[in-house]
Amino acid sequence: MKIVVIGAGVSGAHAALTLLERGFNVELWDVGRHEDSFPEPGVTFHELKNRLDDPVDYFLGRDLDALVPPGRGELLRYPPSRHFLASDKDPLWNFLSDGFAPLGSYHRGGLANGWGANALSFDEDDLAGWPVSFSEMDSAYRTVYARIPVAGPVHDDLSSQLAGSYPSQPPIRLSSADERLTRAYERKKSRLHGLGIRLGLARLAVVTDPQRKDACDYCDRCLWGCPKDSIYNPGRSTLQACESFEGFRYVPGRRVLSLVPGEGKITGIRFVDTGSGQTHVETCDVAFLAAGALETGAIFLRSLRAARPDISPETEGLMDTTVLKLPYVALSGIGRPPDSRSFQYNRLIMGILGEHGPWPRYLHAEVLHLPSLLYHPLIESMPFGSRLSKKLFFVLKSALGVVSLFFPDKITPGNRQVLVNAGEQREAVRLCYQEANEKSAYITQSVARVRAALWRLGCMPKGIIQSAPGAGIHYAGTVPMGEGIKRCDATGRSNLFANVYIADGAAFPSLPSKSISMSLAAHATRIARSARL
Amino acid sequence: MMMQGPLFPTWQIDEDEYRTVCAYLGISPKAHLYEKLSAYLASAPFRFKRPRGFALFLAGVRLTRFRLARMDQATRLFFPEHPVRHVLNCVIGLHECDGEGYRELASAPAGWRAALAIAGWLTGYGFALMVTLAWLGWNFLAYVAGTPFRREQNLAGKRILITGVNRGLGRDLMLHALEQGAEVIGTVRSQEALDNLAAELPREAPAWLLVADISQPGALPRVLTENRTQAEAIDLAILCAGVKHGGTSVLAMPALRETFEVNYFSTVDFANWFCAGNSRKSLVLVSSIGRWHGMHLTGGYNASKAALSIWGESLEMELRAVGKQHIDIMIVEPGIFESGMMKRSGVAKLLLTSRRDVAKQILSGAMAGKKSLRPPFWFAVLTWAVCLGGRNLRYRLFARIK
Repeated sequence: MKIVVIGAGVSGAHAALTLLERGFNVELWDVGRHEDSFPEPGVTFHELKNRLDDPVDYFLGRDLDALVPPGRGELLRYPPSRHFLASDKDPLWNFLSDGFAPLGSYHRGGLANGWGANALSFDEDDLAGWPVSFSEMDSAYRTVYARIPVAGPVHDDLSSQLAGSYPSQPPIRLSSADERLTRAYERKKSRLHGLGIRLGLARLAVVTDPQRKDACDYCDRCLWGCPKDSIYNPGRSTLQACESFEGFRYVPGRRVLSLVPGEGKITGIRFVDTGSGQTHVETCDVAFLAAGALETGAIFLRSLRAARPDISPETEGLMDTTVLKLPYVALSGIGRPPDSRSFQYNRLIMGILGEHGPWPRYLHAEVLHLPSLLYHPLIESMPFGSRLSKKLFFVLKSALGVVSLFFPDKITPGNRQVLVNAGEQREAVRLCYQEANEKSAYITQSVARVRAALWRLGCMPKGIIQSAPGAGIHYAGTVPMGEGIKRCDATGRSNLFANVYIADGAAFPSLPSKSISMSLAAHATRIARSARL
Repeated sequence: MMMQGPLFPTWQIDEDEYRTVCAYLGISPKAHLYEKLSAYLASAPFRFKRPRGFALFLAGVRLTRFRLARMDQATRLFFPEHPVRHVLNCVIGLHECDGEGYRELASAPAGWRAALAIAGWLTGYGFALMVTLAWLGWNFLAYVAGTPFRREQNLAGKRILITGVNRGLGRDLMLHALEQGAEVIGTVRSQEALDNLAAELPREAPAWLLVADISQPGALPRVLTENRTQAEAIDLAILCAGVKHGGTSVLAMPALRETFEVNYFSTVDFANWFCAGNSRKSLVLVSSIGRWHGMHLTGGYNASKAALSIWGESLEMELRAVGKQHIDIMIVEPGIFESGMMKRSGVAKLLLTSRRDVAKQILSGAMAGKKSLRPPFWFAVLTWAVCLGGRNLRYRLFARIK
């Protein structure tokens, strides 16, 4: 039996590994680009400026594309030295956008090449409306946590809200700014609990055990690519585990377009050979779609058009988290010297608890004290001239922080992928998305609570930055679990094609606030484990 | 790269100004970072919003330490996307990538000194702001006073053909047109000239460069047609390429033929192609003030320009007669200016209009539908005065010129 898993991101890697563990032979098809290794391991972000031949080229890019021009309201641009992200400039990109600016990746490991490493599980409340119980997911979470090293506390104020989380590594070291904040939290705890606000240590898929060779060395370069491989990357560790099985075959250079329909099943897969640009069809017995919610939705729509031209080729849903950033100044941090080494991503998380209509009880936020970044956009965004802004900024630097809130999403009429049905762009997929109106009251209320909490913590909130729709990079719900031929059943099996499984976030019928990567891995594991092959 | 000064003076700064910016920000200037800054600012006209009105007026201010401090405060408050903001932001962005630069930028007082310093800075800011507002008010008055003499140009969406863009007036015309938002089709005589120019221009610049050796009959219309450019697609054509065989007798037939071919017949060739069709457009003929008088040892240059001016006038009459009034003809007769065809000497330097100013005048004149332009005007008046003196006077004056 020929089983093909499509996509080598976190979902594809865990689906493949689970199938291999069940004793099946597996082919993993992927576009399979890869990044070069990162320069100068062990050297910190700022030290790198002395070590590289052309640091401007590394930090800002040859044409200074990462320099944020004045008046743009952006706090940072993605490092130009990283190129695992794909967007509309990529020749393989085949999405048209309507108010939704998505990102994808054609690299081995997918978007997890640059994820924020926050590892959380969906609990009973997050899974409300799913045809899957928490206990079913939990056994998959346990498997996944055994595969992925996660750093986190044994117990803290958030533990009761974070069921299904099984850290195996000691927590990441806090910076001195984080420590000041946690001390303030301990003092004001009861008032903050009254607001429904809890602060805890981040749960991160990072190796921290100093005995291990790949342990984090706090070089402040997470965003620029972890040179020690401490942050979990499915394209490395999980695919390496797959490669230890004889029945595994990794097939790069293939971009899947659609599935070839037969009688209630598919008979093959249509793909582009990315080397030659030629389109081919190859037969297969079972396919696991794990190309990421956007690509999986697109593949499904093209297959749907081939199988059922009478049905309009649009998906049931399209979801993404709305990300909102609240910058603040921690008054106790003014004039403090910065730490020489730290972990660049957030080391603290915040839970905002409460009943909010259809939304889950837990709203996830990440608390980040600005470590090493390029600072010119922050300096330019201050209300003084460059000279004074620069001086003030470096005095305030250790005091600056930002709380990022991740608002959940649900399947909403109108938010969907639509396949272009005629003309030259027949293979292209349009992404239609509008922020749901009912979310805005929830957002306003939550922001007010976080602001009140920040004041209590001795921090002065300043401004609000909302990312454009699509920037959340938690895409989901394009072929969700449920009834109808555009959906899949509770085991991820497509209701249209009996031998196709939706193994990635496309199958999520709602999108909780919590970071999704661990749930993607757990979902893929559960689907691969229960598939009737 | 920057052999001939900044390409786009509204955006770019020269090395002295860069040193001023570094001193102002308390960082050490670095030649390799200045190069990157310059290249970045050269692409700015095609990436960012063009300043207008008073903001544009301020962009013309040469940056001294005092003016930079004023501009820094003023633009942050009133013009957040002003070119000087891009300059300061880019200098900080570049220097923070450099080990030493970052140390210089990041040095800050710590502990209780920080609070004192902040209080001091904010007080200083208040005083400086008062000076800035007074300075800004003064400049605003100067701006308002100059308004009647200034014509704002917006060439956005215009497609302009310019010949001879690799040097001299043609080059300045192209750069100015690009800075004002136009799309330029520029022709040069050789592939080598094209390659050099292309290497100098920022990649984003909407300039299509073509090789056309206009000493060959029919070359320009042929090259344009080969490159699928239609006469209707050009809003403005400026024929600026010219040759002058200095020190060559007016009897030297090969030089004379080439001079007439390039300066005169190529224009007739082009006009035949350009004046067909019904779209609204302008044709600018760059002649010379020398067309009013003869001159020895020029290989027939003055004669060719006289022919060009007279023919241009004739063409305009003819177009009117056949009802083609949608084509404006402007004849430019520049006098003495820094053109790259002359050597600059002491007195000449004082009297010369800058080439960039002449380019500005030609473009704004053409867009306003002017019929003739003779920059600098004082030189035209002088020339006419001499011409009125008759041939004897001209002979006595000009025959002595070596």
